[in-house]
Amino acid sequence: MLLSLTIISIDESSHTHYVTAGLRSVASGLFTPLRSGANDVFRPIGDFIAGALDYGALQKENQKLQATIGAMKLQSSEAAFQARQLREITALQHLPFLGSLTTVTAQTTAIDMSNFSASIVIDKGRNEGVAYGMPVVASGGLLGRVTQANHNSAVVQLLTDGQSKIGVTFGKQYIAMVNGQGSSNPLTADFVAPRTPMRRGEVMFTNSLAGAEYPPGIPVGFVTRFRSPQGSSQMSISLEPMANLNTLAYVDVVQWEPTP
Amino acid sequence: MTFGSLVRSTLVVILVLVIQSTLGLDLHFWGAHPELIWLLPVASGLVAGPARGAFIGFGAGLAADLLLPTPFGLSALIGSILGFSTGFIMARTEGSPWWVSMPIAAAGSAGAVMLYAVIGAVLGQEQFIDVSLVPIVVVVAVVNALFAPVAVRLMTWALPSPELRRPALSTGGNRW
Repeated sequence: MLLSLTIISIDESSHTHYVTAGLRSVASGLFTPLRSGANDVFRPIGDFIAGALDYGALQKENQKLQATIGAMKLQSSEAAFQARQLREITALQHLPFLGSLTTVTAQTTAIDMSNFSASIVIDKGRNEGVAYGMPVVASGGLLGRVTQANHNSAVVQLLTDGQSKIGVTFGKQYIAMVNGQGSSNPLTADFVAPRTPMRRGEVMFTNSLAGAEYPPGIPVGFVTRFRSPQGSSQMSISLEPMANLNTLAYVDVVQWEPTP
Repeated sequence: MTFGSLVRSTLVVILVLVIQSTLGLDLHFWGAHPELIWLLPVASGLVAGPARGAFIGFGAGLAADLLLPTPFGLSALIGSILGFSTGFIMARTEGSPWWVSMPIAAAGSAGAVMLYAVIGAVLGQEQFIDVSLVPIVVVVAVVNALFAPVAVRLMTWALPSPELRRPALSTGGNRW
């Protein structure tokens, strides 16, 4: 128990976290081929149990199509956002919109490794230019950010994870903070003053505030419910992610790092 | 623990981790997937007592931590507590029939999941107690109960030293 607590302390400390991160990176490098091989054996069993005999191939094809649709949806949303931003404020600035940024396409190798975190593992890592903190997009919007970059793989924290917090903008340059609430729960938005003009379906985009952890203009989620509770200092807002979290076979890592 | 036992135990841990990270992640019931890793401390506690149970639990948990995005060392802590507790409690129930491993695995795994959530929250992962804990506890407990006899067999193979095995474990028939 003492040894476990010591290891946890090492991991939690910012000075020694690199030790456990390095161990995880090495373990991931060793384990990935094993898992990949075993996947070929076990995936059909899993698919069979999931409900269909020849489900795997169809699912893969469907996921590719969904990814294509998602990419088109993303382009469309980004174009609308860019046009609005260019008209209003950003005409005077040169913001690094997603369209001008390079991306690394990766395949998802594992989803939700833990019941307690919303994350995926992708097959691209530091060797392919993926680094800690890089945003990840897929199927129409923001998916999350890289929280662990190994040599040939990376862990992406999804925006639905309880630890995820994303600065967003909506409407007439209102800002808010979108928080993940766990895999099966809707997102929530904080810091929106009561009676702020809003409508159901309103899309929230990553904002361009200084020090933001994401490039501006990426669709994050759309409003599904909102109300101004009596006596509360902020609105109660629920959102659904723009990205389709059911089709995560392929994702794009945006090669953008936050400016300190 | 002999070198051979250590090698066999390591192989069992790797096997369970591979199954967990492939088939285990593919199986979703009510939004939760099985956590087979808790079977190892339970089975080793049953087979070899509290000290070996804690050791195997620590090792299996640490190996799982290498692959999880959650705090490093947390699974090792829970695994060692689970292994020790199982071995300690079962030391008083020698000669139990083989199926006793199933409710023990269910109870132990359920306890491990809840303890994991609570300690995780204490360590700053508040979302651990915000998730729907009931389906996770139920799924993990039921699946681990089903696979408990297999896990006990595996750990009996991995830890075969006579001095580690309690009398009931070495008998055949309807005993484990």
